[in-house]
Amino acid sequence: MQIYLPIAELSMNLFFLVGIGGAVGFLSGLFGVGGGFLLTPLLIFSGVPAPVAVASVTGQVVAASTSGALSYYRRGQIDLHLALYLVLSSVLGAFGGVATFAALRAVGQLDLVISLGFLLLLGFVGTLMLIESVRSILKRRAGIVVREKLPNQHNWFHGLPMRIRFKKSRLYISVLPVLVLGLCIGFIGSLLGIGGGFILVPALVYILRMPGNMVIGTSLLQVVAMMAATTILHAVNSQSVDILLAFCLMVGGTVGAQFGASAGKYLRGEQLRALLALLVLAVAIRFGFSAIVGPADPYSMAVVGAGGVI
Amino acid sequence: MRLLCAALLLFALALPAQAERLVSMVSREEVAITSSFSGETLTLFGNIEPEAGSTDKFVEGPYHIIVVVTGPWQDRIARLSQPVFGLWMNTQQVLFKAFPSYYHVLSSGVLTDITSEALLDDLDILPERQARLAAQPGKGDAVALGNELIRLMTEQGHVGVNTTGVVFRSDTFYSAQVTLPSDIPTGPFLAHTYLFKNGALIAERSEGFTVRKIAFERFLGQAATGQPLLYGLVCVALALFTGWLGGVVFRR
Repeated sequence: MQIYLPIAELSMNLFFLVGIGGAVGFLSGLFGVGGGFLLTPLLIFSGVPAPVAVASVTGQVVAASTSGALSYYRRGQIDLHLALYLVLSSVLGAFGGVATFAALRAVGQLDLVISLGFLLLLGFVGTLMLIESVRSILKRRAGIVVREKLPNQHNWFHGLPMRIRFKKSRLYISVLPVLVLGLCIGFIGSLLGIGGGFILVPALVYILRMPGNMVIGTSLLQVVAMMAATTILHAVNSQSVDILLAFCLMVGGTVGAQFGASAGKYLRGEQLRALLALLVLAVAIRFGFSAIVGPADPYSMAVVGAGGVI
Repeated sequence: MRLLCAALLLFALALPAQAERLVSMVSREEVAITSSFSGETLTLFGNIEPEAGSTDKFVEGPYHIIVVVTGPWQDRIARLSQPVFGLWMNTQQVLFKAFPSYYHVLSSGVLTDITSEALLDDLDILPERQARLAAQPGKGDAVALGNELIRLMTEQGHVGVNTTGVVFRSDTFYSAQVTLPSDIPTGPFLAHTYLFKNGALIAERSEGFTVRKIAFERFLGQAATGQPLLYGLVCVALALFTGWLGGVVFRR
């Protein structure tokens, strides 16, 4: 069944849109990531103009993450206090990211910067996560008891001034690393057009030493807030948010996210992290592939503006 | 648009008096885009008749027709990506200003059989010629990139040359099918018909039609550009609501 998308100005198969929304929503609920880094390339590959794909996916990410965040909230697995600091600083970072995006586009080579950015970021994060999670899976196999709570290893930045007690996460750390983390996520997320969940999840685990059961819910809440702000930013700046496209993706995404969140209960934290690491690495390899091996067609085109009427 | 019409009129007046005139029509003057829009086919048809006031009772061919259907203009960039120190970068790019977003040439025969290449070039009929006209000086080979732009747009179905697109139903009555793909740009379209006899252009006519969104699609399009902040807020509210609803429905 074809449906016409008024902002993208093309018609697409409704079931295809709901389907990819659902598949990515499942992953989003399972891992606590927004899924934008998968959905945006998929849509562009299907023929949706890149600005419309990026802007509309932000709307879908809000919806998919909302249902995920709510189900974690009901289970009491969100640290609202810590999320507040993350959200405020990430929205600030997003403004910086949008400005950098515009500057890079003016210089040209934005595609290359985005490809390399994805390659380095995803490759680095993915490799780190894979090594850590495989190591803990092996430890468990070998019969070594792994403590559920991460050991209270404090890094030097946990002891910086302005320490705050985050009761839910059982953390008493300086607020400064939290704010810096939020700024970075906001900046990178809006620059690369992603929610940043896949960076935030490992950062919360390895840098802030947040307990594993709090990580995904808190990350989802942060993604909801940041992507809501980004959607409005896109709607005002580029007017390329296609509400019908976003809605089709949302419907699939929310359903998928429910199943993902349920499936997540049957997997242990390190298994989830290993799977997410593999996914992240796969996307990194795909981006590296296009930057190093080259595109299938060396020629490309883009519409840069209305040329007036006949 | 008015200027162009005036120019066309002047051009038509400047043509030497001919014995034939062209009567043509497009099957629909407005193509409405609704939620189930998945492309549309228009029929362009016309007849070749004796010039008004002429004493001729009939006209004699053989005639040939070329129809050029042009969509709203857009500024497009064509790029060439090449490896630089092992990394693929866009090394060449050329801007094509006011290039048609839709450009289809339909004819009743092979173009070079209908008329001379010189006249085809003069009338700017071929898509490659359009690319040459729209190309702006930049860092890149405008001719090569222009041809690649035509190829990419042909693959999309937005540009094409169909030498069997015009069919003569009788000696003087012809029809042509214009296929509009589902990702057609909205705006004014122009179907320009050229009538050839023995390789010479003897008459031409223009028909216009409009592609536009109606009803809900039109409302959304206007809201997105007219009230962007409100539109963005509604998008976010819809997203939050959908997410919440999904959570409620699936709560077990």
